[in-house]
Amino acid sequence: MKHVLACIDTSAYTASVCDLAAWASKRLDLPVELLHVVQRNSAVTLRHDHSGAIGLGAKTDLLVELTRLEEADAHLQIERGRVLLATATERLKAAGATGVIPLHRHGGIVETILEREADARAVVIGKRGASHEFATDHIGSKIERVVRASTKPVLIASRRVVDPSSIVLAYDASKPADRALDRIHHSPLFKDLPVHIVMAGRDDDRNRNALRNAQRSLPDDRPSTTALRPGKPEEVIAEAVANKPDTLLVMGAYGHSPLRTLIVGSTTTAMIRTVHVPVLLVR
Amino acid sequence: MTSFAALKREWLANPRADLLAGIVVALALIPEAIGFSIIAGVDPRVGLYASFSIAVITALVGGRPGMISAATAAIAVLVVPLVRDHGVEYLFAATVLMGVIQITAGFLRLDILMQYVSRSVITGFVNALAILIFVAQLPQLIDVTWVTYVMVAGGLAIIYLFPHLTKAVPSPLVAIVILTIVAIYGGLNVNTVGDMGKLPDSLPVFLIPNIPLTLDTLQIILPYSLTMAAVGLLESMMTAQIVDDLTDSGSNKRREMKGQGIANFVTGFLGGMGGCAMIGQSVINVKSGGSTRLSTMVSGLFLLFLIVVLGPLVVQIPMPALVAVMIMVSIGTFSWRSIRDIRHHPWQSSVVMVVTVVIVVWTHDLAQGVLAGVLLSGLFFAGKVKQLFTVESELSGDGNTRTYRVAGQVFFASTDSFTGAFDYKEVLDRVVFDVSAAHFWDISAIGTLDKAILKFRREGTAVEVIGLNDASASMIELYAVHDKPAAEAQSGAH
Repeated sequence: MKHVLACIDTSAYTASVCDLAAWASKRLDLPVELLHVVQRNSAVTLRHDHSGAIGLGAKTDLLVELTRLEEADAHLQIERGRVLLATATERLKAAGATGVIPLHRHGGIVETILEREADARAVVIGKRGASHEFATDHIGSKIERVVRASTKPVLIASRRVVDPSSIVLAYDASKPADRALDRIHHSPLFKDLPVHIVMAGRDDDRNRNALRNAQRSLPDDRPSTTALRPGKPEEVIAEAVANKPDTLLVMGAYGHSPLRTLIVGSTTTAMIRTVHVPVLLVR
Repeated sequence: MTSFAALKREWLANPRADLLAGIVVALALIPEAIGFSIIAGVDPRVGLYASFSIAVITALVGGRPGMISAATAAIAVLVVPLVRDHGVEYLFAATVLMGVIQITAGFLRLDILMQYVSRSVITGFVNALAILIFVAQLPQLIDVTWVTYVMVAGGLAIIYLFPHLTKAVPSPLVAIVILTIVAIYGGLNVNTVGDMGKLPDSLPVFLIPNIPLTLDTLQIILPYSLTMAAVGLLESMMTAQIVDDLTDSGSNKRREMKGQGIANFVTGFLGGMGGCAMIGQSVINVKSGGSTRLSTMVSGLFLLFLIVVLGPLVVQIPMPALVAVMIMVSIGTFSWRSIRDIRHHPWQSSVVMVVTVVIVVWTHDLAQGVLAGVLLSGLFFAGKVKQLFTVESELSGDGNTRTYRVAGQVFFASTDSFTGAFDYKEVLDRVVFDVSAAHFWDISAIGTLDKAILKFRREGTAVEVIGLNDASASMIELYAVHDKPAAEAQSGAH
């Protein structure tokens, strides 16, 4: 657990990822590992050659040409990546991160993040990557793959981030939700931050009990409030964090099997999509 | 969703390029399907149905997106005797069994065997395949009028020169269209596709091969199925590697083996012949911008569309036009670099390559060529490693003890060098074998160590072995004789 892994690309989320990573770095007293993965474009689709003719040395010529095209693109992407890393490093330092270790890698974005998170205490990532940047109220496909496969807490940065001064816990009495509660109790990341535990569901004894037990499991001196509201979880939670940009939404992630999720959709994904504050997912 | 994202990546990463590439590839599939149906002695529709079904199924379940599989030359040349002696229904049954064998091979993870196929063998395979494709065109070029030669030459000229004009249109298509128009309006006396047999006029239907389900039938088709499965997997694995290299991306070879199996299994029931991945067409696909499952799928669907909807036009295509396209595929498949490299590469590599080619061209069986190539490269390798063996010796000050320092690899091929490295006739009290820099690989090596030790003992010399590494020591523990009681009594047995 040596650092906070912050993942950046050319999207507009890079600034808020840096701010959120800096906040986590200060709170956990860990340096930030700043990761950018070089994405070169495949040259296969760039050639526009539909002649369909293959002549002498076709395989070798094609390999040489594809390599040449991708090499040129890779140089360009590496230069861009270096500038990006330098800018982000400065921003992190200015925001008070305890240390910055820039890391520039080739490869698949998701695979590289999962490989690097082994040494990380938490992963910070933007809500959408460069390839999905302008699809508003949408969660990037790579982000979702990272969140599903990751074993570490994942902080998802919204477009704008201010240092969180309070926490909203999305609570549904499930195992992941209890783990999230436990983390709020123990992790230095949330030390002294007031907690608002929100549950979506009918106002009946069972839900009230679950909520009361959740609140009791926190220490007495921890400022905490609860709310039980009828409605769909994503709507209830979105309302709870609306117009509170200094809030961090914490929730247990993906309680259901991938198959069920495929059919009925995922509450987790829906929530990440609709809220406009940073989200911490606990596995 | 993880799986959804993966599906999107494998199908829709670049739909426009993949669609166009699939269409270009379909045009190169038709000549091979028709041409090699004729070689195999069946109606063109057997090859065309197979190409459609194999392309579509491997697009869905294969392990290498962007690779093109269909009815191929490599398989077609194998089944000639089967069709000639027993008929086409046995070919369908053999194709079904071929699929079963390939699926089994996938589950047995036989893809790891590919690591024993050296680069020279792969080059030999590719070259042999190119030669097979070319040789298969010869029947269309023998005993024909001069018009045929002119048309083939004209076709090749269009194929290679037209891209200098524009790369927006597939030049093989241009060649086929121009030659067809010339043949029809010029009233030229050349063979057409229609002369070669029936084309499909409908979608393929499911049918059980009409054969007796007996042990005799199995005995007939099993040898063919085994060879077809082996050749199909070999070409598919090699093509997958080529596509991996060209696109700089990975593939799931095991899934590809199973995918090939499923495709052939189903194809047999649809009245198609067996097939596999195609090197030439896969290169055309990548060259045209195809790299996902979509292009493979489109190539299969478009092929069927062309045949079923444009069938009346397809039958009028003159054979020389298809021969020209197949000569292009043959030229594009051949590794011309390997001819130049013959002089620079180590002679062993060149021998392996040439032997692979010669055996394939001779037997028309790519599996036999690869087997010979693999065996030969194994022998050459053993011969090279055998050289990594030295023995130095040193006599002690009092002249009674000699230390032999053995270094290198001791295995079946180096036993003679090992036994011959010692002077047994020297009168000594003690001999020390320092084997700290040697490795004993197999029971031949242990046997030869036994023999040397016992030979010294018979001369009354005490022998000590020092510096055995762990692996060698455990081999000796298990299999050696010299360290067990009564060793001398048995030594005659060595």
